[in-house]
Amino acid sequence: MSEAVEPSQELLERQERFVSEHLRRIFVQIYRIVRNVADAQDLTQEAFIKALQRQDQLKDEQKAAHWLSRIATNTAIDFLRRNGRVSMCEIEQAPESHDESPEDSLLRSEQRAFLEDGLRLLTARERAALMLRDVEGLPAEEVARRLDCSKATVRSHIANARIKFRRYMEKRKP
Amino acid sequence: MTHPSQSILALYAGKELGWLAARRAERHVARCSQCRQVVEAFAALHDDLVGFGDVPPLSWSRLAAEMKANIRLGLAAGECVRSESPAPLAWISGMRAAMAGAAMVVLLAAGLVLERSTLPVPPVAADESMVLRATANGVELNQGGQSLSLLHMRAAQRPGGQLDVTYSAGAQGSMRARYVDSDTGNVTINNVYVQ
Repeated sequence: MSEAVEPSQELLERQERFVSEHLRRIFVQIYRIVRNVADAQDLTQEAFIKALQRQDQLKDEQKAAHWLSRIATNTAIDFLRRNGRVSMCEIEQAPESHDESPEDSLLRSEQRAFLEDGLRLLTARERAALMLRDVEGLPAEEVARRLDCSKATVRSHIANARIKFRRYMEKRKP
Repeated sequence: MTHPSQSILALYAGKELGWLAARRAERHVARCSQCRQVVEAFAALHDDLVGFGDVPPLSWSRLAAEMKANIRLGLAAGECVRSESPAPLAWISGMRAAMAGAAMVVLLAAGLVLERSTLPVPPVAADESMVLRATANGVELNQGGQSLSLLHMRAAQRPGGQLDVTYSAGAQGSMRARYVDSDTGNVTINNVYVQ
């Protein structure tokens, strides 16, 4: 007969601290790839659970942060692959600020929808590479680490993504 | 004029080219309005995407609390699953490996011993003075003037009587007699082996 081993109080506290420190960053990172709050929430939880189950990887805090980012990116990419790059529009989108007029809000929402459509043309890895580079502002070396590929591959993903996106924008121009 | 590829221009706009490639692209873009427009379009795309990365307004504290609770729950569930099916203990794995190793050694040793040992070879060839022959009603063994007959019971009871007998001789010095009793239909088979 086996008995469940209770994790120590110290371990629980360390896990709590780790989650609190990185939760927002990881959520935003995943959101930028999947473009949906509910999915980003689920995937963030999944990424943390995967990471915290490997406690041996969490000893060095800096390495653990990088490792967590990598897990988050891969979790988001896997999700996009499984779901055929589908991204649902947010239904709870509120105006950016209370000062924003309904016209501005509508314009902003149209712009977002326009960009969302463009992102759907990209492969999961192209999308992740573009988001990490252009939105997160990470250097290509770091993007390569996150995607677990070479810098040349990252450049290729980024170039392809920009070319596809630019063609899409030109076609949609009035 | 040869224009740089779209990929080169896309990477140049994002400052991702190496120093030499970037200088080359820069020189070309400076004197080619067509490529300059392409680079500007890529740069505008970058600006659009920067704003696009913003997370929509949401109640972060509620969302964070929910996620933290779910992470705790997921970890606890994982612990339960792990404790239900414990991983094999290290010493058990070690013992298994040792036992497998020992079994291999024993097998090898046994193989070597069997290969080298001289097993007694059974006498295959029959003694030349020994003769095994078929008679009308059975099998007879002769050696040194003495004989031993293995006859069917009915043939023994009925001297001179013929039975339906089928003989077959084996290459290893054996003889087989198959009797069929016409009255009862019983079949009797006698095998005699000579060593």
